[in-house]
Amino acid sequence: MLSRVANNLIWLERYMERGNGIISLLKTNFYANQDSPELFPWTPIIKTYTPENNSFYTEDPIECINFMVFSNDNPNSILNIVTKARENARSVQEHISRELWLCINNYYLLLTKIGVQKKLNEEEPIEFLDSLKAYHLMFYGTMDITQERGASYYFMNIGKYLERVIQITDFTAIKLTEIAKTSDSLEQSFYWKNLLLSIGGYQLYLKKHKSSFKEDHIITMVFQDKLFPRSIYYCINKLNRHVRQLIESGELEKNNIEFLLGKLESTIKYTTIESINERGLENFIKEIKEDIKNISFSINTVYFSHFN
Amino acid sequence: MLNNDLFSSYDLLPNTWDEMYNNDSKIRTQYNIINSYLQSTSPEVLFKKEELSRQLFMSQGVTFTVYNDNEGIEKIFPFDIVPRIITSKEWDKIDKGIKQRLTALNLFIKDIYHDQFIIKDGIIPADLIYSCPYFLREMKGVNVPHDIYVHIAGVDLIRNNDGEFYVLEDNLRTPSGVSYMLENREISKRIFPGVLPKNNIRSVSNYPNILYKKLQELSDQNNPNVVLLTPGIYNSAYYEHTTLARLMGIELVEGSDLVVKDHVVYMKTTNGLKRVDVIYRRVDDDFLDPLEFNAASTLGVAGIMAAYRKGNVNIINAPGTGIADDKAIYIYVPDMIKYYLNEEPILKNIETYQLGKPDEFKYVVEHIKEMVIKKTDGSGGYGMLMGHEASDAEIKDYIDNVKKKPDNFIAQPILRLSTAPCCIDGKLSPRCIDLRPFALAGRDGIEITPGGLTRVALKKGSLVVNSSQGGGSKDTWVIQ
Repeated sequence: MLSRVANNLIWLERYMERGNGIISLLKTNFYANQDSPELFPWTPIIKTYTPENNSFYTEDPIECINFMVFSNDNPNSILNIVTKARENARSVQEHISRELWLCINNYYLLLTKIGVQKKLNEEEPIEFLDSLKAYHLMFYGTMDITQERGASYYFMNIGKYLERVIQITDFTAIKLTEIAKTSDSLEQSFYWKNLLLSIGGYQLYLKKHKSSFKEDHIITMVFQDKLFPRSIYYCINKLNRHVRQLIESGELEKNNIEFLLGKLESTIKYTTIESINERGLENFIKEIKEDIKNISFSINTVYFSHFN
Repeated sequence: MLNNDLFSSYDLLPNTWDEMYNNDSKIRTQYNIINSYLQSTSPEVLFKKEELSRQLFMSQGVTFTVYNDNEGIEKIFPFDIVPRIITSKEWDKIDKGIKQRLTALNLFIKDIYHDQFIIKDGIIPADLIYSCPYFLREMKGVNVPHDIYVHIAGVDLIRNNDGEFYVLEDNLRTPSGVSYMLENREISKRIFPGVLPKNNIRSVSNYPNILYKKLQELSDQNNPNVVLLTPGIYNSAYYEHTTLARLMGIELVEGSDLVVKDHVVYMKTTNGLKRVDVIYRRVDDDFLDPLEFNAASTLGVAGIMAAYRKGNVNIINAPGTGIADDKAIYIYVPDMIKYYLNEEPILKNIETYQLGKPDEFKYVVEHIKEMVIKKTDGSGGYGMLMGHEASDAEIKDYIDNVKKKPDNFIAQPILRLSTAPCCIDGKLSPRCIDLRPFALAGRDGIEITPGGLTRVALKKGSLVVNSSQGGGSKDTWVIQ
């Protein structure tokens, strides 16, 4: 596969995954903000997803959603993300299924349609966010049932799980700074619950641990759960699997990525909650983020190494 | 129910051939079926069909992007739902005429880059060749595989008021529009269900298969790696490049994906370099190789011309074919047909005056109101003077400009482009059209897909069909 194509496929998925995560975050915060605006303000969300020179901040829910979905100035607005996803898809049309292209293109057309921004202001925001979310769900499903299992699929999955693991570590890091600010255990439990809701793990948590919020249980689930598709372990395991499949099918030379991923996978798998607590969760996250940065860097060299 | 309103304002243009009505205002038989279909369809349904066609183009991404203030706006090439219909007898002549013309043009290109018999025999003046910007010295003496220079051509035809087809341009470099031929047909299937088979309309969907077959036959390799080279996502024909690559199942590459090592072209893959054997390029000659042509070009590949001359890679169309579709050379095509094939031209040329010749210059100036003046290396409908529309001041300015370098200009009488019915605001109105059939040449001869791109000047009374200037397109039906 062309290196540029592989790179475009990875980024196509990274952008789509990021869009999905941001929409979930907005939805969760919308509800939480209604309950306790002082615990769940909008500013940290804007801060996480905008460049350092951004000067736009708001505590008005609709204004914030508007900025996060439509702003041209926000590189991570859904509009900008989907535009970039579509540009990546457009240049790899012969590698993705026709249905997948139509799905992304129609999403893009919806976001650029005249009057769609008005809809957000006039209608109920959750319904609006759900209508966007539906495109992401359609995208996942379409990819699953129409894309042949081959190099394109594997590279796309690398993009997907890479972005997801970055998101989970980012979300968790934000919550940890907030938790550190308070000693009230009820408030802390609100934050933990909010984290689970943002990454879509709340329902599973209830099933496993009932309605009792224990920090250790949450950390174990977010970091180490084998069956939760949004746990860090699950994502790293999938990344590893797809890289191996690329190597086995001769699309990728055996290189550093496999080693880095294998190492990270065992670290996460075999670190006990006690030892995480011992060295501090922040430090644990920091180490994981550092490893992911190196993995991401190695993946980029797949694209750049043949440029001479 | 009859939709009588539909034809209420169909005013035929004077002295112009109409594709649907004959001189006695009777409907030509080939239009009977579509005519009765339209008549039995209410204006509301027609509107819906038009809307559906627009939506289909948008959602499939059959668009080009216009950049304005850093913001890309998606546009579709306007599509008129009423098809243009050509009889089998008419097509037969077009088919034979284009094949004859391309055969002669291909022999001409080979001759020009080798022995130049046509110059030595005094048919074409040498300075015309050497002054042509499309003439590539880099191609002198280069032997191209199977002596084929023009693999893909999109010859522009118009029908004059005598009912005959004339050749307007040969388009032998990187003609575009074939994806619209394919896409328009797909839309027709959706908006006129069942009408195509009832009319025995010949299919166009085989084009990508024929193209792929002709491309891969050019290589001596068993399983050659054929790629399509695009200038990239910002090119206005990018949609076409992605479509053709997808329909042929070949890789769409950009210049930066390719690299030349030891006179062999490779593409950069995730698992190292992979050899490329055949390149269908949609990049102009000028940008193909920064080492030999435009040094600032990032669209091409350094060293690709050397690899080509060594025979290690095939480039389609061959570099340098522009010498045969220059507007000054166009005048000599009928002579070429006689010279190389000893045949009479089947398709006529439009009478063309060379402004470099004093007597012809004088004649053109005297009849300026009936003339269109063009630059010999112009395209896209730009830089033309339409005598009947221009003010005296505009004419004077233009002529002053011509006088500086008269050899660079030609003049043709303003043509009566034939008209065809178009659905405008719910009613049928005649609009001027042309026709671009697509011809593919390979080892086993030339094949022309029955149909092509019919372009429409959607502005009332306009003769300019170019997409950049308010043109649209129609599906083109050839009856079996």
